[in-house]
Amino acid sequence: MAADELKRLHELPSLGGLFVKALATGFNRPGPDAGLPSRSVVVESLAQDPARLVAYNHVTGFGLRDHVPATWLHVQTFPLHAWLMAQADFPFPLAGTVHVSNEMTLHRPVTVADKLWVRVTCNNLAPHKRGVSFDLVGEIRVGSEIVWTGTSTYLALGRKLPGTPVPAPRLEAPDVAASQLWRLPADLGRQYAQVSGDTNPIHLSRLTAMPFGFKRAIIHGMWTHAKALSSLGPRLPGTHTVRVAFTKPISLPGRVRFAADDELKFAVVNSDQSKAYLVGQVLPTQ
Amino acid sequence: METRNAVVVGGNRTPFTKAGGKYAAASAQDLLTAAIDGLVARFGLAGAELGEVAAGAVLKHTRDFNLTRESVLGSALSPHTPACDLAQACGTGLEAVIYVSNKIRLGQVDTGIAGGADTASDAPIVITEKLRRALLRANTARNLPDRLKAFLAVRPADLVPVPPAVNEARTGLSMGESQAITTKEWDVTREAQDELALASHQNLARAWDSGFFDDLVTPYLGVTRDTILRSDTTLEKLARLRPVFGKGEGASMTAGNSTALSDGAAVVLVAEEETARANGWPALARIVDSQVAATDYVTGKEGLLMGGARAIPALLERNSMTLDDFDFIEIHEAFAATVLATIKGLEANGTGTVDRSKLNVNGSSLAAGHPFAATGGRIVASLAKMLADKGPGSKGLISICAAGGQAVTAIMEGC
Repeated sequence: MAADELKRLHELPSLGGLFVKALATGFNRPGPDAGLPSRSVVVESLAQDPARLVAYNHVTGFGLRDHVPATWLHVQTFPLHAWLMAQADFPFPLAGTVHVSNEMTLHRPVTVADKLWVRVTCNNLAPHKRGVSFDLVGEIRVGSEIVWTGTSTYLALGRKLPGTPVPAPRLEAPDVAASQLWRLPADLGRQYAQVSGDTNPIHLSRLTAMPFGFKRAIIHGMWTHAKALSSLGPRLPGTHTVRVAFTKPISLPGRVRFAADDELKFAVVNSDQSKAYLVGQVLPTQ
Repeated sequence: METRNAVVVGGNRTPFTKAGGKYAAASAQDLLTAAIDGLVARFGLAGAELGEVAAGAVLKHTRDFNLTRESVLGSALSPHTPACDLAQACGTGLEAVIYVSNKIRLGQVDTGIAGGADTASDAPIVITEKLRRALLRANTARNLPDRLKAFLAVRPADLVPVPPAVNEARTGLSMGESQAITTKEWDVTREAQDELALASHQNLARAWDSGFFDDLVTPYLGVTRDTILRSDTTLEKLARLRPVFGKGEGASMTAGNSTALSDGAAVVLVAEEETARANGWPALARIVDSQVAATDYVTGKEGLLMGGARAIPALLERNSMTLDDFDFIEIHEAFAATVLATIKGLEANGTGTVDRSKLNVNGSSLAAGHPFAATGGRIVASLAKMLADKGPGSKGLISICAAGGQAVTAIMEGC
């Protein structure tokens, strides 16, 4: 899937500015029938910020190791997701677009000293039973070697596209009792916004979340994803593919539980495990 | 009676760094986990259930009450590997090796890891005693008025945090101030201290350059070599430094001949000798015997860091050995003057003389740095390798001084 237009950026764009731009242009988007722009965006030499990695590892529960978490690499691509979606010809406004599932593969361990080549492109516009879905596909290289790839599936709620929705493969929650309790403090969204740059107002406070239909702030899905991986501890293989589905938002402050089985199927659930907020599975890299 | 020998199979440590350097953001647990995982990688221990892991840290947060077990759980070892935290000030690392060795020799375990980690960068800051008492009272108060009342005694000055104290509780003196008294008492000259410091840097630099540490150190956070090491230092440079401990004329202890506050972790893999051979692991050196002694430093009759001069004669006598029987002697360089005063003390009490050509031949704490609880693991792993290279029957002696007037000593023998 060749992207015709390749936009080179010298550095990662600031997310705050992109959110403002996306909001300003959000009322005048072409809609799904226009299709996805054939465009990709690349930052060719990205230096990782060691101080931010330290803070990221602290907020998400990873110890300080030589190798960076796979989810940290996703964080490096996220500003490019936002950049693509903030362009005026992107079919959907940012508000009303939700991140529903994610898959990423760490092909080889990456250290914080590695200079990254980061590219994100969009594809796979498809009808979905709750709207229209599309993928933002990221790729990270060190030198000429592909070290990380990721696909984030977003859903533009309530939009329509002709065709029959193809049901996405469902991830199953593990059939084991939750063994870990996580306490999420009220300011966790602000903490994660600091380390990820994702300052989406729905995560920051009750007041900023209310205009978007939330009674309380909700934690970033990618925090929950990262915390799930750190909670696997040494069971997480050095290289791996991980799939997650974000099934329900977690309100802040909150208490949730974490369950994982021997096949590394995992879920973040409520106290009686009747409700799953996130379901996922780790697969060893082929 | 069946004899079981505890042998050092190998070791691993992080490079040591000056406090506030590249490890500034790493916790003691991060460092210890990194050191354990490096050892796991070196000996293929991923998923292995070892007999026990014993380690500790001198500067310890309350949240680190189970530091070693938490580090094991964060490492690639089997979660069934038990662990224990151990503390004996700067003797922690060596005492952990002795603890694991003794369990091995008693047949309670066949394998174990021993060591320690310390970070002077991430040292705990505590609140004042008055504020702490108030918080405890407020926590048990049943209602809001009582809770508020608990804070009435707190004054603004009580809100200032208290940095970690390095002073001895009973003398009020810092370790450097205590050593300065001993230095004067034993008439240790500035020149002798600077010469010892220079030798430490030169020996450590040569060891690094010759690849001695290739299988003893795993890089961490981009650091590949001990950062305190100054391979280009000279006696002239050391002589220019101003004294920092002791007062007035004759003050001789400088930043050059005292150890710097540092960060790092070191661990060693210890196993029962037959178990080591059955696993195809190298058996480098046996842990033969150990002795801890303590000085009466509070009355001022003895030096705070002179425990070695008490422990070593007791250890030698029990093993019917003299100082001349050793191929290598490792005396931890808390300060250059500590080593020199200890040697003078051994001469004065009739134990014998230390052949300086056998002393700290691959450098010691002055050049490597001294993350307190990590020093024992560093010395044991290096000495075990030196003894293995020297050959079967070669002998090594370790002496590590510690706060509270103590010293931990041990004899090792090449396999």
